[in-house]
Amino acid sequence: MIELLRRVLRSPQGALGLVLVGLILLVVVLGPWIAPYDPESLAPLQRYKPPSALFWLGTDQYGRDILSRLLHGARATVVMAVFATALGTLAGAVIGTISAFLGGRSDEAIMRTVDAVMAIPSLLLALLIVNLLGKSSWNALLAIAIAFTPGMARVTRSVALAVRKQDYVNAAIARGESARFIVWREMLPNVVAPIIVEMTIRVAFAVMLFATLSFLGLGAQPPASEWGLMVAEARRFMHLSPWMILWPSLAVAFVAIGFNLLGDGLRDALNPRT
Amino acid sequence: MTPILDIAGYCLDYATPAGFTRALDAVTLGVAKGEVLGLVGESGSGKTSLAWAIMRHLPESAREAGRIRLIDKELTTTSEAEIEAIRGRRIGMVFQDPSTSLNPTLPLGEQLAEVLEHHRGLTRKQAWAEGEAMLARVGLKVPREMMRRYPHEASGGEKQRVVIATAFACQPECIIFDEPTTALDVITARQILDLFGELQAETGVASLYISHDLALVSRVANRVAVIHRGRIVEQGKVEEVFASPQDDYTQKLLAAVPRPDHRLVDDAGPGSEAKALVEVDKVSVRYGRKPFLAKLLGRENTQFTGNRDISLSVREGEILGIVGESGSGKSTLARALTGLNPFEGEIRFAGRPISGLKDMDRAYRRDVQIIFQHPDSSLNPRQRIREILSRPLALYGTVEQRKDANAIGALLEQVRLPAAYAERYPHQLSGGEKQRVAIARAFASRPKLVICDEITSALDVSVQASVVELLVDLQKRFGTAYLFITHDLNLVRQIAHRIAVMYRGDLVDLVDVAELSGGQVHAYTRSLIEAVPAPAAPASELPRI
Repeated sequence: MIELLRRVLRSPQGALGLVLVGLILLVVVLGPWIAPYDPESLAPLQRYKPPSALFWLGTDQYGRDILSRLLHGARATVVMAVFATALGTLAGAVIGTISAFLGGRSDEAIMRTVDAVMAIPSLLLALLIVNLLGKSSWNALLAIAIAFTPGMARVTRSVALAVRKQDYVNAAIARGESARFIVWREMLPNVVAPIIVEMTIRVAFAVMLFATLSFLGLGAQPPASEWGLMVAEARRFMHLSPWMILWPSLAVAFVAIGFNLLGDGLRDALNPRT
Repeated sequence: MTPILDIAGYCLDYATPAGFTRALDAVTLGVAKGEVLGLVGESGSGKTSLAWAIMRHLPESAREAGRIRLIDKELTTTSEAEIEAIRGRRIGMVFQDPSTSLNPTLPLGEQLAEVLEHHRGLTRKQAWAEGEAMLARVGLKVPREMMRRYPHEASGGEKQRVVIATAFACQPECIIFDEPTTALDVITARQILDLFGELQAETGVASLYISHDLALVSRVANRVAVIHRGRIVEQGKVEEVFASPQDDYTQKLLAAVPRPDHRLVDDAGPGSEAKALVEVDKVSVRYGRKPFLAKLLGRENTQFTGNRDISLSVREGEILGIVGESGSGKSTLARALTGLNPFEGEIRFAGRPISGLKDMDRAYRRDVQIIFQHPDSSLNPRQRIREILSRPLALYGTVEQRKDANAIGALLEQVRLPAAYAERYPHQLSGGEKQRVAIARAFASRPKLVICDEITSALDVSVQASVVELLVDLQKRFGTAYLFITHDLNLVRQIAHRIAVMYRGDLVDLVDVAELSGGQVHAYTRSLIEAVPAPAAPASELPRI
């Protein structure tokens, strides 16, 4: 693990990604404590303030401190995105590995179904699911997880097909192991590395997808300080105070870039040949 | 006589994160005109590093000292541009695997003609004509056609002939052969060796012949150098080195070479009256799915046949060797017996008929175990040795074994590994140790039949000897029957009671080991025996270790 970290740090994008993601996690954990104000306290006299010594990033249409809202919102935004990606990845990895293990007609059937789901753009699919299930953060999370599953299943299957040919899988079959044991204990641990890389990159997509859903009013609901929702609300007051829309957008971009770079670094670190 | 290739005090280090590791240590050797110097060493001994050092194709992390001279030219200080004119022109190289050393997207003739155009300044037309002549000279029957073929349209032996033709094309002063026959089947290898001998005598080129195979080197080389961990431990005339090796390592290496006359098991074996443990009755294996559409349209079945009507039996406590070249269906049979391939026909195990995967129940799985060729791929890299070995115990072990905390250690000690290895991961073990773990896993369920699928072919000769010795030992202790699959005829003649010979999916011979050399055997078996190089010296002349 330490060796892996050292190798991530060796490449510039990996090191930068690690620093950015580290900062983000710090904000996620400590955000509510270091926020200077209550994110929901209204101050009618302090509306649309530009950044100043008092309000570092300015205030919004109700006079709420934007920095405090961002720090509080980090939890909702980042944790939800990571959680949704993890869920989608797990489901996709299991489906992909099972498909590769079974092979033949079952593989064909599973993968064609996955292809069919993949043909629907992930945002549309997420919209569809949220509309069916009702608006809430948890449903948005589920929608993103489902939207990510087919892609992850494809990635996993391609890796798992190579693992399937390895003799330790043959040995397990010849030993009479159950299919569940072979998929869980023999195959899945060996497809983990490329999946983790894919997952880190997808976290960035999840953040943006989440923000998009909230922006469309289908994810987090006011007065939550989810970043996508903040952008959506700020849109109406753009001409009054451009800061209001700038900061949460930058925060989303920051997370996306951080996880993307980390994913790049991890890919190089886990595969010494590239 | 002044040597063509003269290496003196050559040292090579590779930079690694942990500092420099020495690959070659004060290597001094020379190859004269018309001479073949055999360089023998096990994997990791630095023999290929030396080849690349002579070819001046080293990674950036290399640091070198000493000198390499080609007649009057000092190669270590020559500029890259000059080296390019020397490579291929004055020093040729023949690689191990012709299927990877030829570009799959270019016709063979193109690759041969390019060398001639580049180094001898021939026009395209001249180069093609010359190339055709070269191909005819290396014994290819249809050179004109061969020039236009792509690598995948030629067999392994034909490709290696093209590579050799390319190496000899510019009449170089020195050619490096890096295990040129290792990737080929024995009979093809034999033909390539004969070709090498002819061309060598005809051109008088100075040859450096790199190999891990002592028996082979004793046939092709005039002089031999033994390399061990980057150091030349012994050098001299072939007859002298092989008859009276001075260095400990050479002695060990020579003693490890399998010799058919040096039997490792009781000659008698279980007699023909012994009960048959496994009977394979007309088993056929076909690869590829039955194409649904083709069946509907009534087209011919295009499936590939792996085994055709194989019938044989393994007696209790017997070692049955199966030999054949790659693609002869040896492993296919092993996979059918362990339920990894569907098959047609019937297998009877201890009298119980088994006609398909469904019939392979727990008892059968426990009694029939398989050990694979590559321990790297047969041990899960993400599991500790403890977990790897605990699985057969969990599935088939006794209750005491499952509860006994030392059961894993006992399994490891049974294959002569320290019990502390249980906490290691496979990558922390050497190749031989990994294969021992695989053996321990196979023996954990106390099977009646163990199928060994080329289990020593990925190992060095000295490691192979100790693994084979271990297997024989286990066989004596437990009375287990083996199906010992290998392409190494000398090895199988050492340990098997009976030998089955397979050729292109058919079983062509099944004879007692004693009858193999003299008795009535199939023509293919005879050519196989003739093709196998005889070991360098009889075992009796070797000092016992």
